[in-house]
This record gives sequence, structure tokens and C-alpha cells, in this order.
Amino acid sequence: MGWTLVEGATELPADHGVMAVSISGERVAVFRVQDEYFATGNVCTHQFALLNDGFVEDGCVECPLHQGRFDIRTGKAMGSPVTEDIPTYATKVEDGQLYVDLDRQAELADTQSVALEDKPSADLEKSDGRRFVILGGGQAAACAARGLRDANFTGEIVLIADELELPYERPPLSKDVLLGTASTQEATVLDRQAVETLKIDLRCGLSAVQLNTGTRTITLSDQSTVEYDSVLIATGARPRPLPIPGADLPQVHELRTGEDAISLKRALKRGGQVAIIGGGFIGMEVASAARKLGCEVTLLEAEGRLCARALHPRAARYLHEIAEASGVEVRTGTRVSAIEPHGSVVQLNLADSEPLLADTVVVGIGVVPNCELAEAAGITIRNGILVDRFGRTSANNVFAAGDVATWPGSNNAQLRLESWHNAQEQALSAAKTMAGIETAYDTVPWFWSDQFGHNIQMLGLPTPSDEFYVQPASQDGGEVIYLHDGERLSGVVAFDNTAAIRKARIWVSQRLEVSTLLGFLKTASDSAGDTRVSPENRRKLMNNPAQYYVWPEKGLRRIPDWVYTDPAIYQLEVDKIFHGSTWNYVGLEAEIPEAGDFIRSNVGPTPVVVSRDEDGEINVFLNRCSHRAAEFCRELRGNNKEFVCPYHQWTYDLKGNLSGIPFRRGVGGKGGLPSNFIASDHSPQKLAVTTRGGVIFASFDLNMEPLEDYLGPRITEEFDATFNGRKLKVLGYYRNTLPGNWKLYHENLKDPYHATLLHTFLVSFGLLVAGNEAEMICDETGRHGVMASAKSDAGKVSEEDSKEMRAYNAELKLKAPEMLDFEDEFDSRWSVTMMTLWPNLIVQREMNTLGVRQIVPNGPNEFVMNWTMFGFEGDTDEQQRHRLRQGNLMGPAGFLGMEDNEAMKFVQDGMKHSLAGEHLIEMDPNTEAGTADTLISEAAIRAMYKYWRKELGIG
Amino acid sequence: MLKENEANQGEAGIAEDTLLRTIEKFNVEYCLALDEGRLYDWANFFTQDCRYIILSRENFDAGLPVGLVYCEGRPMLEDRATAILETSMFAPRYLRHFVTNTFVHYKEGDEIHSGSNYLLTQVLMDKPNATMHQIGRYVDRFVHEEGVLKLKERQCIYDNLLLENSLVYPV
Ligand SMILES: Cc1cc2nc3c(=O)[nH]c(=O)nc-3n(C[C@H](O)[C@H](O)[C@H](O)COP(=O)(O)OP(=O)(O)OC[C@H]3O[C@@H](n4cnc5c(N)ncnc54)[C@H](O)[C@@H]3O)c2cc1C
Ligand code: FES
Ligand SMILES: [Fe+2]
Repeated sequence: MGWTLVEGATELPADHGVMAVSISGERVAVFRVQDEYFATGNVCTHQFALLNDGFVEDGCVECPLHQGRFDIRTGKAMGSPVTEDIPTYATKVEDGQLYVDLDRQAELADTQSVALEDKPSADLEKSDGRRFVILGGGQAAACAARGLRDANFTGEIVLIADELELPYERPPLSKDVLLGTASTQEATVLDRQAVETLKIDLRCGLSAVQLNTGTRTITLSDQSTVEYDSVLIATGARPRPLPIPGADLPQVHELRTGEDAISLKRALKRGGQVAIIGGGFIGMEVASAARKLGCEVTLLEAEGRLCARALHPRAARYLHEIAEASGVEVRTGTRVSAIEPHGSVVQLNLADSEPLLADTVVVGIGVVPNCELAEAAGITIRNGILVDRFGRTSANNVFAAGDVATWPGSNNAQLRLESWHNAQEQALSAAKTMAGIETAYDTVPWFWSDQFGHNIQMLGLPTPSDEFYVQPASQDGGEVIYLHDGERLSGVVAFDNTAAIRKARIWVSQRLEVSTLLGFLKTASDSAGDTRVSPENRRKLMNNPAQYYVWPEKGLRRIPDWVYTDPAIYQLEVDKIFHGSTWNYVGLEAEIPEAGDFIRSNVGPTPVVVSRDEDGEINVFLNRCSHRAAEFCRELRGNNKEFVCPYHQWTYDLKGNLSGIPFRRGVGGKGGLPSNFIASDHSPQKLAVTTRGGVIFASFDLNMEPLEDYLGPRITEEFDATFNGRKLKVLGYYRNTLPGNWKLYHENLKDPYHATLLHTFLVSFGLLVAGNEAEMICDETGRHGVMASAKSDAGKVSEEDSKEMRAYNAELKLKAPEMLDFEDEFDSRWSVTMMTLWPNLIVQREMNTLGVRQIVPNGPNEFVMNWTMFGFEGDTDEQQRHRLRQGNLMGPAGFLGMEDNEAMKFVQDGMKHSLAGEHLIEMDPNTEAGTADTLISEAAIRAMYKYWRKELGIG
Repeated sequence: MLKENEANQGEAGIAEDTLLRTIEKFNVEYCLALDEGRLYDWANFFTQDCRYIILSRENFDAGLPVGLVYCEGRPMLEDRATAILETSMFAPRYLRHFVTNTFVHYKEGDEIHSGSNYLLTQVLMDKPNATMHQIGRYVDRFVHEEGVLKLKERQCIYDNLLLENSLVYPV
């Protein structure tokens, strides 16, 4: 073929420039390092990936997909996961142009530097007389055989492999092989030629049946025996059998071997309905391939979440989402009890739902290690053959590696990893150690999976309870989840982001401190939460939130950030709390005294209308036109006879019934609604309504318990103390947004600890001091609370207490102190009560300034606060003015109210801008959760989360 | 409207013009004091028996008296100045007032009823933009005290009912 001109190559950047060219259909990569040019094959020998998309560094190119590295001068594969070299081609520069010759290999300036093929450096003719036996013919076995020769072992290597094929790797089986884009031969990791050059005595189709560590002999399935000096057990694992009737039907497949892959590929090619039992990586990859081949796929997982064993819940949620987005029906928490023949297909009987028909069933429910041989030989087993960091088992001269071996891991957690990387690296250390070069296996565990067009990689060994910090997708790649134990990085999961994995490898190996990590991750600020989950998928995922959200181990004493920042949690709260079995404040009776009076309000974020009808009844219904969803009531309040939607003038009466539809019968006998359309079936949804003391509550649950029971006796008593039968008189409104999670407002009022510290005003002027008579009251469930205190005189702060309160200033005096006067108008021992009624009401009785505050949440990071300030009918002018003057304490410009709003914003800012973490709720350990008789307590916050977790179903 | 004010014609017109300018100058100094955080100076723009209220247009239109800030008498303004300067906790910020469309409504005895539009911008330290924190109007009653114009009443009536988080300084 000769020299081919490569245009533009000489314009490449001098510092590791790279470009892709096609020469006679061959994909070629051209590299430039200063004035030298190199040409190699451009396709990774691992899987299909183009090297010119990778990183060029230190004379090597790193594959963009799984970070396999090749020397660009020699084409040599530089280690995991690549084993096969890439071709190199000769280059020359003439007249300022670069030429490449595909028929010629690159000439090496320094010829002895590297060997191009498997060429053992030691002279194998002079065997040292020892015989090492490797049992098993998979990834680990092949790698160990190579490793032994690399370590200059010159003795005999016997490899006993029970499969008939040459050793091959398995990852392509569930990916390219199923899709038909690669053959099983391409997965071979030890070909004929390598077997010869490395002088391996490969005995395929034979299995080892007995190991005698005393006589150092192995008996094979053909009754022959082999003696050994050292033996490596790399027998891998086999699919865990599905222990139900029908698992042996011909339509039921498993996937471990090349043969399995070919037969499954045939079945999938036929299309139809595929049921996959097991939502682990294999199941997910098969689902992905099956979808690509046009099958309908249902994935059945017995656990509550996907990849429960191997993946952090937060990352598992992401997989769940991409699988659903690709059209896989994912059913978690679903157990198959039997498979029965059903004509030409099979029927899967499910534990709690309708049976499912399928043309093909794939079982991927994990593997069991092939360790019987070792076990019978008396070797220690711990869910696998227990080895040390060097691959040594409990028996002399017996080593193990790969899927069959259980490895000490960090702090002796004893893990059996099932990954390509583990098989490779562990086998390599064992081989070297066998050959006399003690080499420990302590690389950072690394795993990848390719599914649904996404590449997922995981580093390290995070635990499900680890905290996480999400870096959203950017132009550099997809989402990255950094996992940490509160102090140090424990692992990283990256979606389509090999650059992040590449960077993080060293961080994970050093167990980087989280604060340092934050410094490294520049775009940290917008990281809280994950707004990209589509609402639909979010809802589906949320059938079983407990599985995807793991509460910290410290229990009630910790609150993880995602409680406040995660949009999926927020959605769940709307569904289960605001739209669930709760009484929500919607207004005061005093606002709608007359028939036809109405106000706009909200239940959770959802707009409602509160109206009084001709019968004097109060109605609450959705402010959403049944026709085209328009929010038909636009005025904050008013009086009318009916509500008319401005768009097409559909009309609703004061009870919320759809009462009129213009041109319902069409015009001139044409158009209009179908004759069987029944208007009364299409009224906006109506809510249950109850009132007490002039306060109106509504609920989406039409079977709500009575308000009194909902509040419980203690809270009802305090409620009635404020709403004591006097008629309310509305004095006006404040409205503000608050850039924090809505629950923070509840917590602020269940946190008497803050009141003495944040609110210097209160303390300075004697309204509240740490020694005041006070109580933080909770109801039985923990959802409601009353922060109550009795006023004391200023100057009573003891010297000891004032030292703790840095803000206390005894010098301050008010010029108009009557603002703080307290006229004792209530039958209560408390001068101040701040009541939090779950989920959306605060009742403020701050001495004589009274108000209700309605929380209207608006996503996880913001809510609106609507304040309605009131007095009573019959208040004298002076009484009313006193309430108004005292009102300077509260509201978004109030001396106290402003500070609370600011503080809550700071809390949300902290979560949004910093690393994800946990809140420490440790105050007052003597009360686990519930009513506290000291102000220095957070027991009421703990009580609230005990309840919240139960409601949301989060462990 | 124009008829009443038949500007520039008679002496009355000239006097009104001067008054208008005096009020505008007053507002400039008032805003300067606030923008510079001189809150005790701000209190001095009011008479001893003043009323100072910041209330939403919603409340004002409905005749509801509640204000974000509700002060009767200068001592309450001074207490507010003390609270903000000495005790309150809030994130640092810069505020700036813009006052326009000042007009004199009518005089009643020695009281001058007048009004203006105002715009209050707020800048927080960690955001690049200034937000329009309040948009509203002043409804004022001025008197002369020893020849100096003072506010006997200022109602700051804001249109944007939904306040962003908090209002720290007076308007
Ligand atoms: C379909 C599939 C896809 C995968 N995808 C990925 C992936 O994307 N990423 C990743 O990191 N990992 C992946 N894995 C996992 C990875 O392939 C395994 O962890 C790896 O193959 C383990 O290698 P091993 O040599 O320990 O065991 P194996 O590969 O199981 O090899 C063991 C061999 O020993 C033989 N054997 C057993 N008993 C005897 C005996 N008594 N005598 C002789 N021979 C015996 C077995 O037949 C087998 O051939 C995948 C696995 C499968 C099955
Ligand atoms: S495809 Fe290149 S490293 Fe895997
Ligand atoms: Fe507070």
C-alpha cells in the first residue's frame, strides 16, 4: 500500500496532539509529541471506543471508555482493563507533510525498551523444575498465567479449565455479544499463540475434582492427577439457581458463559416479551440489550431497589430512572413464586400481583462462588475462599483470586468482589507472590457497566448509609455522585463521565477529606438536589422511597441534607403529607363572614378556593377549571354569586359544583358536548372541611379524623386558649417568600434553644431568657408542637446565663417600652405560645400580637409564608393599636421575625453551597423525642422527624 | 388634574413650586440618611408625635391597619433604629432609594398632604444583581417645625405584596 499522506497532521498541537484518520477503511490515530509523530490503530482492544477521544499523557493514550492505556510508540497495552496491544504504523515527515504506512510497523528508536508480543523475558527452556497449577479458565486464570511469566517464573504452568473455549472475559457477553456487534471469539483473553509462547500447559474441558493439600495433588475429572508446588484457585462463580418450580423450563435463561450468551441472543432476536428476574447489573444489561433488540421488557426485582447489593441507593435511583426512560417496566419489591408452561410461552406467578406472560425469561439473581473444592480440602471459607492481601489461602501453597476469593478489604470487612478489575488485579498479585515477588492487592476497587447507552463507573467501596454529594451533569460529562462517611471520601459513581473517574481515582485511594474534596470541585454551588428527574419517573421511583433514601446510622440525632433539598422528597411530601391525611389551614371564618364571600388559598402548593355558600357552609375546592385547568379564581378575596372561568366561561357555584357550560348543546344542532356528558361528574375536586374557634382547615382525605383527635388533647387545649370563643377580627396581612425548605419553619419553632441566642432583642428586653418558665410541648405523634413561655422581668438574667448569651446587652433600654406590655387576656399560664400545627399552620400568640401563618411550599428550596394578623371583635381602639405596635416584633420586618427568616435562609444556603452532610440534633439527650421542659432542647425536632419518616416510609 | 394645579401662572403657582422643590429636597436627604444607614438621623425627619407605617397595598386598599413596620411616635422610630443597629441579625446588604413623581395633594391648615413614588433596591453580597425590593408610594403629611419641614405621617404603601424574605431597614 505504501505511504499515505495525512493532511493536517503537522498542524496538530505539539504537546500530545491527536487526530483520527481513516486509511483504506482502517481507523488510525495520529499523535504528535513535539516533532515526533506516531500512528496507531484507533480502536481500543477492550471494547469499541475511539482512542482519539481519550487523554494523551506521558507517551500513552488513555481510552475514554474504561481508561485502558496504550503506549503510543509501541502500541503496548499498559494494564487493566486492556491486555491486547494496538497495532502501530510507520510514519515519516516529508516536505512538511506526514505520511503513514499501514503495512509497516512503527520502528522503535530504542528497540530493547518493550516487547511487542507476549514474549517471556526469562528463558523458558531452563525450567526451574517447579510446577504451578491454575484451576479455572476465566479472567483471573488467564491473567495469573501471564503474571507468572511476567514475574520471570520459568517453571511449568498447568491451566485446568473446564470450559472448552480458550479463556475469555465475560463483560462483552451481556453487551456486544447479545447485540451481535461482537463475537465470543473477540472476548478471548488468552489465545493459542499466547498459550504457546508463554508455554502454558492448557487443559481445556477438564475440571479439577479434588484437592489434596497434604500430598499436593489435584485429581481431575478424567481421574488423572497433577502434582503441584503451588496452586491458584480461580474457579470463579456460577449463577445462583432460582429456587422455584419451573426454573428449568427451556424458555428460562441464565448468563455466565459464551454458550449462555449465544443461546440468549437467539431468544432475544425473536423479540416478544422478556421477563428478567433480578435487578442487578447483569439483569440491567440484559434489559438494555433486549430493549435495543426490540423486545418488551419487564424487570422483576425482589428487593425494594435495583442493584441493592452493589450500588449506593442514590446511584441506584439514577439507574432505575434510565431503565424506565428506555421503556423497561421496572417492578421492585416483586417476587416470582413459580414459572409454568403456558402454550408456547411461560407464565410467571408473582407473589402479590397478576401473573405475567413471557416468551423469554432471564435469571440474574447473583452468583455462588465455586469453592466446594477448597472447602472439601479444609480451606477456610467465608462466602468464598478467604485470602489475605497477597492471595494466600489458609492452606500452604494454595492461592485464590477472582470471583471465588473473599478478600480482607479495608478494615477487614471481608468482601467478595465480582468484577473484571478485581479478577485481574487480584490474580496478578497472587501470581507475583507465587513467583516469589510478594505483591499486595490493594488497589481501589473499580467497576463499570454499560447499559441503556450510558456508561456507569464506580470506584471504592461506599456503604448504603454514606452521605452523598452530587455534581450535576455538565459539558464535561454526566452526573457524578461523591460518597463519603461524613469525613472522608469512600467512593465515586459517575455516569458517562470518565474524566471524573480518572480524577477521583487518586482521591478515593487517599480517602480524601470531604472539605478538601469540596475545594477540588469548583462548581459546587448548584449541587444540592437533583432537578433533572422527570416528575413522572420520580413518582414511579417513589413507590418505595425507603430503598433509595437511607437514614444515617445515628438515627434521630441526625438529619441528612436531602431531607431539605431533594426534589423527589419534596414531591413525596406533597403527595403523602399535604395531599394526605392531614388538616391544612386555609383561612379564617372572619375573612368570609357572608354568603358569597371567598378567598384564594392553598393546601400545600395546590391552589384552592374557600367560599361560603348560601347555606352558610364553608366549601374548599380546587382552583382549577375542569375544562382546561385554568386557575379560574384570580382575586385574593371577594364576594360573588358564582365563579366564572375567564377562558370559556365554565361556571362553578359557591359549593364548587360545575353549574354552567356555554354552548353545551352547540349551535344550530352542531357542535357542543356529547349528549351523555354529565356536568356534575366534572366538578373540581372538593376537600373535607372543618373549623374550630373560627379557623378553617381542609383535607384531601375525605375520611379525616376529627380535628380534636388530630391535634390531640395537649395541643387542643393550647389552641383553645388562643381561640377562646371571641370573634376574630382580621387586622391585615404580611406575605413573604422564604428561600428555605418549609420544614425549617416548623423546626425553628420547635427549637427553643435558638430563641435565647438568635433573638437578642427578646433577651435584651427581658421577654425570654434561658431561665424563664417554659415548655416545648409536643403531641403524641410528634407532628404538632407548642413553644410556650411565661414572661419575666428584664434584668433577671443571671450572670451565669448571660455569659453564655454573647448577644446579651444589659445597657439597652427602650424609649417606648409600652410596646412590650402584656395585657393578660388569655386563660393560660403562658404569655407567649408559638404553635406549629402540622403541616402548614403556625399560630402566633406573642403576648398581645396575634396571628396565623400559612406555609405554602414551592419546591424543596422555597416556600411562601402568608401571615394573617388578627385581634378580636370588641377590642378598644387602644387595644387594637397595642396589638399593632407589638406587631413590630413579628412579620418579615419584625425584630424577631426578620431574624428567623434570615437564619433559615442561611441554613438552606449552607446546604446548597457546601458539601452534603447531616444536621446534628443532639441537644437534650434525656428526652429522646417529645415534650421537653428545658429550652435547651431539640427533642421536639426529633419527634417531628420520627413522625415524618414514618409518614414517608423512610427507614 | 392639570386645572387645579394650573402651574406657573399666579403667585400661588410659584409658591406651590417652591414647596414641591422643598419636599423633593427633603426626600433626597431622607433617602441619603437611609442609604447611608444613619438611622438615628432618619428618625429626626419625623415629628415627636409622628406615625410611620410600611404596609402592603393589599392592606391599605382594604382599610386594614397592619404594617410590616408600625410606629406611633418618634421614640418607636428610635427604638427601631436601636434594634437594627444593636440587636438584629441579618445578612449584610446595600439598599438604595429612588423617589419620583412627587406631588402636593392639598394643604389643610399647616399640614401639607403630599405623595411620591418610591423604588427600593437591595443588593446582597453573594448575588450579582440588585433586586427591586419594594415598589410603592409614600403617602405623607408634612408640617413645619421651627421652620423645618418634618413628617407628621408617612405611609409607605408597597405594591409587591410578596416580600422577598425580609425587610431589614426602614423605607
Ligand atoms: C455476563 C457478564 C457480564 C459482566 N460484566 C462485567 C462488567 O461490565 N464489568 C465488570 O467489572 N465485571 C463484569 N462481569 C464480572 C466479571 O466478568 C467477573 O467478575 C470475572 O469474570 C471473574 O473472573 P474469574 O476468573 O474469577 O471467574 P470466571 O470468569 O467465572 O472464571 C472461572 C472459570 O473457572 C471454571 N471452573 C470452575 N470450577 C472449575 C473446576 N473445578 N475446574 C476447572 N475449571 C473450573 C469456570 O467454568 C470458569 O470458566 C460480568 C460477568 C458476566 C457473567
Ligand atoms: S473500551 Fe477501552 S478500556 Fe474499555
Ligand atoms: Fe425565632
